[in-house]
Amino acid sequence: MSHAKYMSILKLDEHELRSRRAFFELTDEDLTRLASLRPHAERWTSKVVEEFYALLLGHPETREILRDDAVVRRLRKLQSDYFLGLFSGRCDLDYVEDRLRVGTAHERIGLAPKWYIGAYRRYLQLVHDMLYKDLPADQAGPAFASVMKIVSFDESLAIDTYIAANLETLGRHQAAIRELSTPVIRVYHHVLLLPLVGAIDSMRAQQIMESVLLRIVEEQAKCLIIDIAGVPVVDTKVADNLIKTTSAVALLGAKTILTGISPQVARTIVQLGLDISTMHTLSKLSDGLELAFSMVGKSVRDKV
Amino acid sequence: MKGTIPVLRLGDILLVTVHIDLEDDIAHVLQNDLLVAIEKHGSRGLLIDISGLDMVDSYVARVLAETGQMAKLMGAVTVLVGMRPEVAATLVRMGYAMGGIRAALDVEDGLALLGYQLRPV
Amino acid sequence: MKISILSHKAMQITSEDDVVLVRREVRALAQGQGFDSFATAAVTTAASELTRNVFVHARSGEVDIDVVSDGRRNGLRVTFRDKGPGIADIDRAMRGGYSTARSLGLGLSGSKRLVDEFTLQSIVGTGTTVTFVKWKPF
Repeated sequence: MSHAKYMSILKLDEHELRSRRAFFELTDEDLTRLASLRPHAERWTSKVVEEFYALLLGHPETREILRDDAVVRRLRKLQSDYFLGLFSGRCDLDYVEDRLRVGTAHERIGLAPKWYIGAYRRYLQLVHDMLYKDLPADQAGPAFASVMKIVSFDESLAIDTYIAANLETLGRHQAAIRELSTPVIRVYHHVLLLPLVGAIDSMRAQQIMESVLLRIVEEQAKCLIIDIAGVPVVDTKVADNLIKTTSAVALLGAKTILTGISPQVARTIVQLGLDISTMHTLSKLSDGLELAFSMVGKSVRDKV
Repeated sequence: MKGTIPVLRLGDILLVTVHIDLEDDIAHVLQNDLLVAIEKHGSRGLLIDISGLDMVDSYVARVLAETGQMAKLMGAVTVLVGMRPEVAATLVRMGYAMGGIRAALDVEDGLALLGYQLRPV
Repeated sequence: MKISILSHKAMQITSEDDVVLVRREVRALAQGQGFDSFATAAVTTAASELTRNVFVHARSGEVDIDVVSDGRRNGLRVTFRDKGPGIADIDRAMRGGYSTARSLGLGLSGSKRLVDEFTLQSIVGTGTTVTFVKWKPF
């Protein structure tokens, strides 16, 4: 996923930026101070990047992730830019976008948040030591405070990146599950079959209706067979959903045949007083198929 | 006042394509145009193509159902064609039944329903 | 979870043309948020029903259309406000039992089934406020 997409998923706009900076107490004064430290930072860059990757490469699990030399080379360059970026003196949407680009690159190679946060801690330690070495103590203190603010701010963006990536994956998985759980099969020209398996709650019922309607248009189906042999419980709600689906299917000019009605289900339907007279109902799927064929003008015959 | 929705005649079938929002004036004028046409041509079938509608609320649904009832009184069978999946789903979820109007996937199926077959030339 | 407002649009309802305008705005926002065709149709239809209700029963009113977020997902929140006669028996109206003027019968109960959250406040003689939220499906 591109960093631009992350920005829109995370709703990182001016409003959010202002709000987050305020919470992290990252003021313009801090930014000015950071900008003034830039000359020092340029001197520290190569050492910081070295130690950053020494940490990652020195730890077995992170070393595994950084196996590919080409990847490591590219990341080192990004890290250099990243480190200097902390001292750019700006924290606007462009800055945020830059940070997300780095976060995205790391997320793509599977560097989990814990490694990220651990690495940030190393960063802070390094910068702390360098600040106190290069500057008098009364300046080093406030300088480090500013560095902490912007590093924390960046950490929050890195975590957001992981969250956005996970949300996106979750969404895709949900879509896949929806497709798998509503396998509408085209068994013949203009005849569709939907074998339902498992419990049908109202959300699944809605997904089923939507999938079915889309397929009817796609296949120009005249007949939909819904087989419920695999549905464990058929109560008022399930029956109601089946009736709704039948009505919607009828509005698209197609007929619904319900098959797989077991003795228990037949008993339940009558005892509950459910009215499913709008549907053709049958016990066996094979009978349903024959009925569907006849509805589209075909018949099943023995071979002579 | 003649309406903005054209009514086409195919033998003794009338075909009307609704492609804009059916708000008050337009709805009543359309109904009137249709009934006048049914009388004039002795039409026995009416196809209302709503494939252009991405939304049918209870008002539009009522207009369509009433049109069907009025046409029936004058001896014409009405078939709604081309309802979009999302429109069908919404109507059903709202609990709105279309008042006995027949439906077909497209104009060709609608004609078949009315007893006509389109044959290759 | 706290709701934050990402965008806001206020519209006036003074004529039947406004039903179409409100519908267009809601549809555009739904599509902009990536709602699929089913969700878009549902939210647009609910908005159309409720706007028409306002016009038919109160002759005029206001609609607020907000894009909202609960921190995890986005949604559309639409509020309809009128200073009309109000609804005496809310339960009956919500059951779809009313058939006084043209659409009220199904407008309320039907719309409720199309959205995720639905609240109605009405005081006879003062007016009615209806708010619904439809979240973007995952």
